[in-house]
Amino acid sequence: MEPVEPGSALAQVRATLEASVAAKVRSGAELLRRAANNTERPELIPTTLEAFDALLGGGLERGKLVELVSRRATGRYSIAMSALASATSIGEAAALVDLGDGFDPRLAETNGVDLRRLLWVRPRSVKEAVMSAEMLVATGFQLVVIDLGLHPVKGRRAPDAAWVRLARSAETSRTAMLVSSPYPVTGTASEAVIKGSSGRPKWRRGLLMGLEMTLTLEKHRHRKAGTRSTLALEVLP
Amino acid sequence: MTSTRIACFYVPMFPLAARLRSEPELLSEAVAVVEGNGNAAHVVAATRRARTKGIKPGLSLAQARSILPKLIARGRDTECERTAQEALIEVAESFSPRVEDAGEGVVYIDIAGMTRHYDSELDLAKAAMRAADEVGLPARVGIAASKLAARVAAELPKSPTVVDPGSESEFLAPLPLARLTPQLDAASMLARWGLSSIGELARLPEAEVAARLGEAGRELHYAARGIDPRPLIPRPLPPDFREGMELEWPLVALEPFLYIANSALERLSKRMELQGFACKRLELTMNLDPDGFAARAIELPAPTRDVKTMLTLLRLDLEKAPPGAPVTGFSLVAHPDRPRRAQLSLFGPAALSPEKLATTIARLVALLGEDRVGMALTVDGHLPERYGIGEFAPPPPPDRRLKPEKSRGLLAMRVFRPPMPVEVLMHGEQITAVKGEGDVCGSVRSASGPWRVESDWWTEAPAARDYWDVELDGGNVYRLYQSETKEWLVDARYD
Repeated sequence: MEPVEPGSALAQVRATLEASVAAKVRSGAELLRRAANNTERPELIPTTLEAFDALLGGGLERGKLVELVSRRATGRYSIAMSALASATSIGEAAALVDLGDGFDPRLAETNGVDLRRLLWVRPRSVKEAVMSAEMLVATGFQLVVIDLGLHPVKGRRAPDAAWVRLARSAETSRTAMLVSSPYPVTGTASEAVIKGSSGRPKWRRGLLMGLEMTLTLEKHRHRKAGTRSTLALEVLP
Repeated sequence: MTSTRIACFYVPMFPLAARLRSEPELLSEAVAVVEGNGNAAHVVAATRRARTKGIKPGLSLAQARSILPKLIARGRDTECERTAQEALIEVAESFSPRVEDAGEGVVYIDIAGMTRHYDSELDLAKAAMRAADEVGLPARVGIAASKLAARVAAELPKSPTVVDPGSESEFLAPLPLARLTPQLDAASMLARWGLSSIGELARLPEAEVAARLGEAGRELHYAARGIDPRPLIPRPLPPDFREGMELEWPLVALEPFLYIANSALERLSKRMELQGFACKRLELTMNLDPDGFAARAIELPAPTRDVKTMLTLLRLDLEKAPPGAPVTGFSLVAHPDRPRRAQLSLFGPAALSPEKLATTIARLVALLGEDRVGMALTVDGHLPERYGIGEFAPPPPPDRRLKPEKSRGLLAMRVFRPPMPVEVLMHGEQITAVKGEGDVCGSVRSASGPWRVESDWWTEAPAARDYWDVELDGGNVYRLYQSETKEWLVDARYD
C-alpha cells in the first residue's frame, strides 16, 4: 500500500464536497464523529398515536422535554394519556403531575394506562408542579407528564430558569418529559413544541363520536418546524 | 477450632464525648461536664482546651471557674449518654452480631473468625475506630483473647492495640497495676508490698495472694496473668432506635428546636444505616416546661433514612399542632423496617430504586399533603368523579423489552373537581347556551342528552343526574348534568 501524504486524504474528501461545506471540514475525525452521531438512534417512548409520533420522529425522546400547547380542546389530555398508557404497558414507571386535577382513573384504565405503574401527583400551583416534577425526574421515573390544566393556570408562572433546570435534570436521568399547557411555558428548555389547533368535534345522529384536530410542530431542535398532522380521537363507545 | 478473640470499644471521658456528640459545635471550646448540684458540682471530664488551662476531673465547678472564667459547663445528660452508648453498640453490631454492652462507653465484640474479611486484626480495629468516629464518638479499640486484656489494650492512649493470642500476660506485665481495674480496692495493700506493675503481681504465688487478699485477691491474680474466664454475653437486638437530649434552656420557637432535631435525626439515620434499616414510623416526645409532655407519631409513606424528609414531616406536624408550652427536652424514636429492595433486570426497563422512591414519596407528601400523592384507584359506582388514592408500590418491571400496546385513540376527559356550577338556557327540551367561568361560556352548537344516571338510591344521599354533552361555539365539548336539586353543573371537558 502506498504511503499517504499527511493532509492528502482530507484534501480528497474536500474535493468530493460542495465548496461551502468543504470549507467547514477541518479534520477527518470530525466527519467520523458526525457520522457516528447520525447513526446513534435516539431512544423513544412512542405514544402510539401516529399523527403525534410522526412529528417527533417516532415518539417522546428520553432525556428531552416536549411541550404540547393548546388552549382549546385539541386532545392534549388524550395524548398525555396515550403516552402514559404506552410507557406503563412496557413496564416503565410513569408519573402524572396533574395541576388541573382532571385525572379520571377509570377512563385512564380504559385507555390502557396501568395504574399500578403510574404515580399520580396533584399539586396546587405551577411552582409545586415543577418542584414535584424535579423530584420525580431525580428518582428515575422513565416518563413524567406535567399537565398544567386549563386556562387560567393555577398559581403564578414558573421562571424560565426552573424549566431549564428541569430539562437538564431530565437529560441527566434520561427521563422523557411531556408538558401539556394551555399556553407556552417552557421557553428555550424544550426540545420540541407542538401546538394543537382546529379541534373539530364529530357528531353523528346527535351523538358525539370523536374529535379531530391539527397538530403543528412549532419548534424542534433537530427537525424542520411547521410540519402538520391530523389526529382523530374517538369517544369511548 | 477458632480461638476466642474479643475487641473492646472504649470511649475515653464518655460523659463529655456523649455531650459533644449532641453539641458538636462545642468541640473546639473549653467545656467541662459537671456532676452534682450547687456546691457539690464537680468536674467529671473536660475538653483538651479546658485541660490545657488546668481544668481537671475532681475540681469543683467554683474552682474550675476561678481558673477559667469562660469555661462552658454542661451537666451530665443521661439521655445523651444513653443514646451515645446505643450508637456505640450499633457500630459494634455492624461488625459482629455478638456484642456485649458493658456501659459507660465500653462495648465488647466477639470477632472470632472475622479476619477473613480483613487483612489483619489491626485493619479490623482501624475500621472499627473509623466507624465509631462516623457516629461522632472518638473510640479506642483493643483486641485480645479475653475481655480484660481487650479492655486494658483499648484504654492505652496509642490505639488501636492488638494483643497476640497467648501473649496476654506478657502484654499486661509492664503496665502499672492501676490499669488492671479502675477501682482497685487493694491498691494501698499492694503498694505496701512494693508492687507497682501487673507483672510483679503475676509473679507472686497465687495461693499466697489468695490467703492474704481473699477471693478478690485470687481473681486479681488471675487477671494479672491475663486469665479472664468471664464469657461475652451478647445483647438482643433493640426493637427501635432512640435519640434525644435535655435542653439547657426551654425552647419556645420552632426553628431552634428543628435545628437540634435535625442533628438528632442525622444520628438516627446513621445508626439505622449501620444496621441496614430505614424508618417507618417516627415518634417524638417533648418534655414541657414546667411539667408534662407532648407526644406524637408520624407514619412515613415508606421506609426511609432521608433526614430532610423526616425533618420536613416533623416541621409540618409541629406547625399543625404546636406543643403549647416551652420544650425542655425531647426524644425521637425511629421504628425500623427493612428498606424495600428491587431485583435489577438486565434486559427489561430499569426498576426504580425503592429507597429513592420512598424518599421522593415522603417528600412529595410533605410538600403537597397525604391525599395528593399516590396510586390512582378506581372506585365502584357510576358517578364519574369518584376516585381513590392508594400506596404507590409498582410491581417489578418485566425482564425483557416489550413493545408498547397500540393506543385505542380514545378521547380523554378532564374531570372538574369539584364540578363547576353553570347557568343553562334552554329552548324547549334543548340546551341553547351555557354561562360559567372562563372558557365554559357560550352558545351551544350541538348537544346530546339527556342520559339518566341514578346511584346510591339505597343510601341517605342518593344521586339522580341527567347528563348532556354540549359543544360550545368556541369548539370545546363539555359534559354537564342537572342534579336532583335541579342545579346545573359541568363535571368534565373532552380533551
